[in-house]
Amino acid sequence: MTTKPYAIRPCTRVYLVLMALTFVTFAVGQLGLKGLSVSLLVLGFALVKGQLVADFFMGLRGIRGPWRWVIIIWLILPGGLITLAFSLTA
Amino acid sequence: MTAIAQAEKRRYPPGDLAIWIFILAELSVFAIFFAAYAFTRMGHAELFDTYQQTLDRRAALINTLALITSSYFVVRAVAAIREGSQTGCVRWLLAALAMGLLFLAVKSAEYAHHLGQGINLSTNTFYMFYLSLTFFHFMHVILGMVILAAVVLKARSGGYCAAEHTGVETGASYWHMVDLVWLILFPLVYVMR
Repeated sequence: MTTKPYAIRPCTRVYLVLMALTFVTFAVGQLGLKGLSVSLLVLGFALVKGQLVADFFMGLRGIRGPWRWVIIIWLILPGGLITLAFSLTA
Repeated sequence: MTAIAQAEKRRYPPGDLAIWIFILAELSVFAIFFAAYAFTRMGHAELFDTYQQTLDRRAALINTLALITSSYFVVRAVAAIREGSQTGCVRWLLAALAMGLLFLAVKSAEYAHHLGQGINLSTNTFYMFYLSLTFFHFMHVILGMVILAAVVLKARSGGYCAAEHTGVETGASYWHMVDLVWLILFPLVYVMR
């Protein structure tokens, strides 16, 4: 069985985006920024990073059917609960 | 490979399906852990925010970069074996393992610092979550490294090729899961307040 070679260039771009978003998240922490909107922004970055890892690194982008949605649902569930908890705390 | 076989393959994620069942179980546990952290924080927001400031965010940054980089190296390893390069696959996996070791070293230094200050699971609710959540993830990093090391050994002995490399994809999928969990854990525990 021969599988299609990985398209490395999109993965390299994703890697750079992941690094950039990580530095932004770190900067938010170092600047002492806080509050609901900041927390949700940082959480949003994390969810985007998670989706990029699932799509490009785990290779789920080209998958059809329920397995395509596994990580998306996993990101939405805890992401939603964290959002709810932080919203109720604010 | 027939068109039907190709279509069937694209219905399933890369690697052995069993590892994906395992990944689902692991992700479910972490999701519960994350929700428990967030909802417990509701009643102790001030305590959580205060003690969050005692954590070493620079160490967490290094660890996040290490895991993302290791995941990228694993992607390169899978790409190499798909092109038939066993040597390339082994080299990229060893580089990923080196990043994993960096993660373990930095996290161990963090734990040593906290333990040296007399901090443990019963110090307060924040540290209970911080230590248990990060140590649970720490153990997954170790397991992921064991899996990658096993893949390296098999790849070195010519166990994988362009035509058959399910084991490499299986190990890669688990390692990406370890990275994925940390991507949520880092902002939740070290940054959000």
